[in-house]
Amino acid sequence: MTISTMRLSGVAAACALLSTQALANDPTLTNPAISAVLDGYYQSGERPMSERVEGFGLGHTELAMSANIDDMFYGKLTAVVEMHDGETELGLEEAFIQTLAMPGGLSIRAGRFLSDIGYLNNQHVHTDSFSDRPAAYRAFLGSHYFDDGVRLSYVAPTDLYWTMGAEVFKGDNMRAADEHGEREFENLGVYTAFTKVGGDVGANGSWQAGLSYLRNENGRMTAEEHGHDEPVADDGHDHEHEHSHSAQYTGENTYVADFVYKWAPNGNYKYQHLTLSGEYFRVTDFKPLEEHHEDHDGHEEHEEHGHGEEVKDYQEGWYLSSVYQFSPNWSAGVRYGQVDTQMMHGDHFDPQKLKETEVSLAWHHSHFSTVRLQYTNQQGTNFDGFEDDNIITLQYVMTLGAHGAHQF
Amino acid sequence: MRINSKQILSKGAQALTLALMLGVANNAVAGLNIFACEPEYAALAKELAPDAKIYSATTAMQDPHQVQARPSLIAKMRQADLAICAGADLEVGWLPMLQMKSANAKVRSTDQGLFFAADQIETLDQLASVDRSMGDVHAQGNPHLHFDPTRLQDVATSLTAKLIQLDLAAKADYEAALASFTQRWQAAIPQWQAKAAPLQGSKVIAYHSSFKYLFNWLGLEQVADLEPKPGIPPSSSHLASLLSRTKQGDILAIITASYQSERGANWLAERSDLPVLVLPMSVGGNEQSVDLFSLYDSAIDLLLSAKQ
Repeated sequence: MTISTMRLSGVAAACALLSTQALANDPTLTNPAISAVLDGYYQSGERPMSERVEGFGLGHTELAMSANIDDMFYGKLTAVVEMHDGETELGLEEAFIQTLAMPGGLSIRAGRFLSDIGYLNNQHVHTDSFSDRPAAYRAFLGSHYFDDGVRLSYVAPTDLYWTMGAEVFKGDNMRAADEHGEREFENLGVYTAFTKVGGDVGANGSWQAGLSYLRNENGRMTAEEHGHDEPVADDGHDHEHEHSHSAQYTGENTYVADFVYKWAPNGNYKYQHLTLSGEYFRVTDFKPLEEHHEDHDGHEEHEEHGHGEEVKDYQEGWYLSSVYQFSPNWSAGVRYGQVDTQMMHGDHFDPQKLKETEVSLAWHHSHFSTVRLQYTNQQGTNFDGFEDDNIITLQYVMTLGAHGAHQF
Repeated sequence: MRINSKQILSKGAQALTLALMLGVANNAVAGLNIFACEPEYAALAKELAPDAKIYSATTAMQDPHQVQARPSLIAKMRQADLAICAGADLEVGWLPMLQMKSANAKVRSTDQGLFFAADQIETLDQLASVDRSMGDVHAQGNPHLHFDPTRLQDVATSLTAKLIQLDLAAKADYEAALASFTQRWQAAIPQWQAKAAPLQGSKVIAYHSSFKYLFNWLGLEQVADLEPKPGIPPSSSHLASLLSRTKQGDILAIITASYQSERGANWLAERSDLPVLVLPMSVGGNEQSVDLFSLYDSAIDLLLSAKQ
């Protein structure tokens, strides 16, 4: 903790040194843009796989600094301060460089950064319209997937927006659980490929759709050597208190489809605008290989065990969200999402399901401050011991310093 | 004579070669691809680079501060040779993101194909220190400078230099376009001033500082703002205080821009018996405003309509 605290004060000192100069001038691409995000909340319960705990808490408290390094490179550093069990931890969410002057619409980003798969993943959580990411994100990407690696992107010179890219990551946070600490993981764990297209529909609407694929070399589970080790499965339920950014349910192959449509009268976002978005995740090849060969026997066994429904060989999740800002000061959102995952219990898998229906109402005093009230109804079926619950969250998210980006 | 004619011939050949080379270069460029952040700069680019392919990222019905870095804008910026923006932080919420996402090296720096109008002139209302409790204000001053004809002329001259820097082959064309624009613009300024003379000294209530330069030029005084603080929408308590201000009886009109909500203005107008004037924020802001000249005409005509 001492180290963390020292690092923290280092960042604070750096910010203090730079801020007087930067804020007096102009925090744009050419000067260091320094910003902080303050996020605090009270909630009446806990959502599964969420980083937010019951009661009072702080969300992502962010300190970000970004600037053009020179005429070739742009750099950004985002430090995140989080509270875990009463202790302060400093994490680095972003520390990357990006090329600015490559020809032909190409760019390279290297370091630690948010993967560009899906729609929400490359956005910062504090810009979301709900206090937590959809359950599918929490289950399969650890809320938001950032990692150490490199990305190559290309934007086509067409009037229809078309970008594609590929990433390679270390993938430590995406590793399947290693119950016995004996597994040899691949060093280059995660490969992704994605493409997005988008454009305008008339003067009022804009859209974007994307397809992504994530290959996780370490995503497949290993067989539990002592197959009937039931307590292990129970221990697995601990991860509700393990506020790491690790994905909880992994597989070798993840496919994501996403879309977003935004509407504003005359394209003027100042007063009213509507955002519709949805994403679908499918995670396959998660069962231990040995298990796979016995698949046929497995099915029969399951029926004998009285599990009834057939165990699927994929896990999936999706959400649909609609947020309407009906005045400069107020916005309201509705979101429904669910995840269907498989929990390994010894030699077989048990399906589990989580459904979340959420309503949020947010008050925006200015561009920079939001106070949000959110209600979540969750219905769990065997889901990590979570049962049906109703959760109320009251949250504020405020930014200070440099003007944030209006990301689509 | 023979020598002379030879010289003339060789000079002619040189000129021909040069013209051919220029022609090739011209074709290669085939007019610049220009990305304008606001319609007033698309209109200015049309005056100064008539052959260019020009795209305006926003319309006069959109608040240029609240634009999203949407896919279509990334696609357009990807193809641009030149981006012309107001600057002074007006586009701070979306231009840096567009630059980042479009991966177009040409428009990343003002040394190359990036042009900020506010960099070419002295802006009004610059602030020595900025605090967000003052609202969404920016130290670099008011960016809505296109309603000052003298400043806009300076911007036109600088923009022509930028066009020539990027497309040297068409230098003569750009110079001719600037000369034509300057001549028409300078002829129009005294006419506008004469027409707007009755407005001198008039007091108005307006939404935001959108027309600061227009009022400054024509001698109008904005005595109150519908926004309690820049970027904060009109609140009922603030409107009530404005209503008591109107009781002094010296206000000509309540003014909003084409992209601003008229709700607050209408509330105040009903109770104070003042007219609401919706001025075009830019080219395309109303039917009359089809270019920079008709934009100025329309704004002045609307203001004069309240005088009668």
